Amino acid sequence: MGQFDAVLANPSSRRTFLKSMGIAGGAGILAACRKTTSAGGAATSAVTHPPITEETGELLVHEWAGFEAPWIWRDYADAGYPEPDFSFLTNTEGVIAKTQGGFYWDVTHPETGYVQDYLNMGVLQPWDTSLIPNFAHLSPQLQAYGNVNEQQYEIVTDWGYSGVIIREDLVPDPDLNSYSYLFDDALKGHIGWFDTPWILQQAAMVNGVPAAEGFAMTDEQLTMATEYAISKASNVYTIWVDYTQMWDDVRQGNLWAAYSWPDTYVVLKEEVPVKYVRPQEGVLSWAEGLVLRADTEQYHHAHAFADAWTSLDTAMRLITSWGYGHSNVNVDLDEIDPDVVAVFGLDDPATNLAEPVSYFDRYQPDRDRYNRAWDEVKASIGA
Amino acid sequence: MAIAGTTGPRRSRDAATRRSASTWAIVGAPLVWVIVFFVIPVIMIAVYSVGGISGLSPNDIEHWTVTPWKDFITSSTYMGGINPLGSGLFWKSVKMSLTVSVTALILAYPVAYLLAMLAGRRKYVLLLVIIVPFLTSYLLRILAWRVILNPQGVVNTFLQDTLGVTNEPIQGLWNSNFAIYVVLSYVWVPFVALPIFVTLEGIDEHLLEASSDLGASRWRTFWTVTFPLSIPGVIAGFIFVFIPTIGEFVTPQLVGGPSGFMFGSAIQSAFTAGLDWQFGSAMAMFLVFTVAILLAIFGRWLNVRSVAA
Repeated sequence: MGQFDAVLANPSSRRTFLKSMGIAGGAGILAACRKTTSAGGAATSAVTHPPITEETGELLVHEWAGFEAPWIWRDYADAGYPEPDFSFLTNTEGVIAKTQGGFYWDVTHPETGYVQDYLNMGVLQPWDTSLIPNFAHLSPQLQAYGNVNEQQYEIVTDWGYSGVIIREDLVPDPDLNSYSYLFDDALKGHIGWFDTPWILQQAAMVNGVPAAEGFAMTDEQLTMATEYAISKASNVYTIWVDYTQMWDDVRQGNLWAAYSWPDTYVVLKEEVPVKYVRPQEGVLSWAEGLVLRADTEQYHHAHAFADAWTSLDTAMRLITSWGYGHSNVNVDLDEIDPDVVAVFGLDDPATNLAEPVSYFDRYQPDRDRYNRAWDEVKASIGA
Repeated sequence: MAIAGTTGPRRSRDAATRRSASTWAIVGAPLVWVIVFFVIPVIMIAVYSVGGISGLSPNDIEHWTVTPWKDFITSSTYMGGINPLGSGLFWKSVKMSLTVSVTALILAYPVAYLLAMLAGRRKYVLLLVIIVPFLTSYLLRILAWRVILNPQGVVNTFLQDTLGVTNEPIQGLWNSNFAIYVVLSYVWVPFVALPIFVTLEGIDEHLLEASSDLGASRWRTFWTVTFPLSIPGVIAGFIFVFIPTIGEFVTPQLVGGPSGFMFGSAIQSAFTAGLDWQFGSAMAMFLVFTVAILLAIFGRWLNVRSVAA
């Protein structure tokens, strides 16, 4: 039961909530919240869905900007289905908040670590993978991150590492193979962090905390990581939020080492001497994919859309053009740049996408604790 | 007379009623707008920050509570105690806002003075010139400073290649507090210049002539007549800058690099990455209260009519 369900289920909380909403005149929000709750309460597995011919085909897809590109869902378009109605998200937390407030979508695209948040709200139903022929070609390791209680709530589509890009010609030792580049005093003034609490997990890993523990650090571990990051914060040139600016800074030599995704390497490797480091401590990684609204009226269209997303053609283009990983493991390695194959570890996905090589994002119920610690690090700079 | 005696007050009452009705007709819509889209949302955020409303974010405390406020007020990260020299983000933003406001005032006053007192008939054309940059994108104007201040930018190239006074790019021009101050001051100078211009233009020239006739130098006339009379414009300009910049987070993030994390950034962060809405609401309400108090204080010295005139 989600926390909001708990409010309405508990008479005391409900009275308080309704009273407050009445005072504030927020009837619209109340109605929207109730809509969310009823959606969450929808039975899923027992429901039979009408055939695709009885659906309107008005599929509402809430996507990251760029993922509306027609080549990504080419098979869906070629099958003659109407173009999905795309709206755009800038961060998953925002979608969760909007969804809680009544915003509707049929399909959206969260990171695997947030699937449980959606489940807590009761707005998801599992996919019927038998309706997605391409599902058989997807990495089982990655799909496991979208599987909760033996149900496939997320079709994991794309993924990437959160490793380190280094300028081989500028760092004193290009063979460290560690997250320690992000904290190295020898690189003072030339380090780039991304604006994410994962920096704290990387600080912890450098100091010996096992990668898997990093997602649920004790208060002592988190304090240690925070203090370490604060002590190294003066080495940082930028905490980037716009990856294109980070790319420019790597190009121009302002950054010698930066938190980055593999697309940085794919873009810059022909321009400047860069190396993509997947640290020996284990590389923190992210994966994301499509989730299905519990009360969608476009059930079959949504499945057809997910099937298009997971096609081989989409996978090839996502990897070669954008430098994103794709969960379809049938990609033809001969058609992909060997450097890109090596960076992604596509020659052995079974090993490279599993621990102890990669540690994928997972549900963190206490994100606020990490976020406040990360705020503390950022607040310490330039105060 | 009898008729006039009885209808006179009634006419007067009718006229007053009509005036009252027309006044409400004029102010009614804006008033409703402000109540619906400002007052009620602010009240909702205030109630939400103490748990009176809950369930909108997964981490909400679902009963009345002062925990978000307590967490914020006692935090060395966000508040840093009541010491204005403390290291809390709130005080960092206050310092940034004060620096930018004072810098913008110092830069804007001569411009406004030039336009109002010395530019003659060309003053409105020149005023337009000042406003012209606002016809371009805000983001574009901000990021243009990257070309000027970054390590490969105009300033560093000039110092290194043209003058040869340094071998390395000067650190701290970009991705620094300095960059935040420069860029925000640049952005806000016209907003400060306008109210000062209006007050200077409204000064009665006879007062300046009288000062001169009584033997005062131009410098003394400025300090004893012109400047005191322009203070409402100065205060208005200060408020125009201070209030928006104390909650700024976009510009510091774009130009301040690692130094660009401000109080406004912390509020934004609580509402996004942190999924920590009640805490964010407490911080946002604290900012609203701060601004309200400042307005109340400065309002004592702010002659709205003279600025509006």
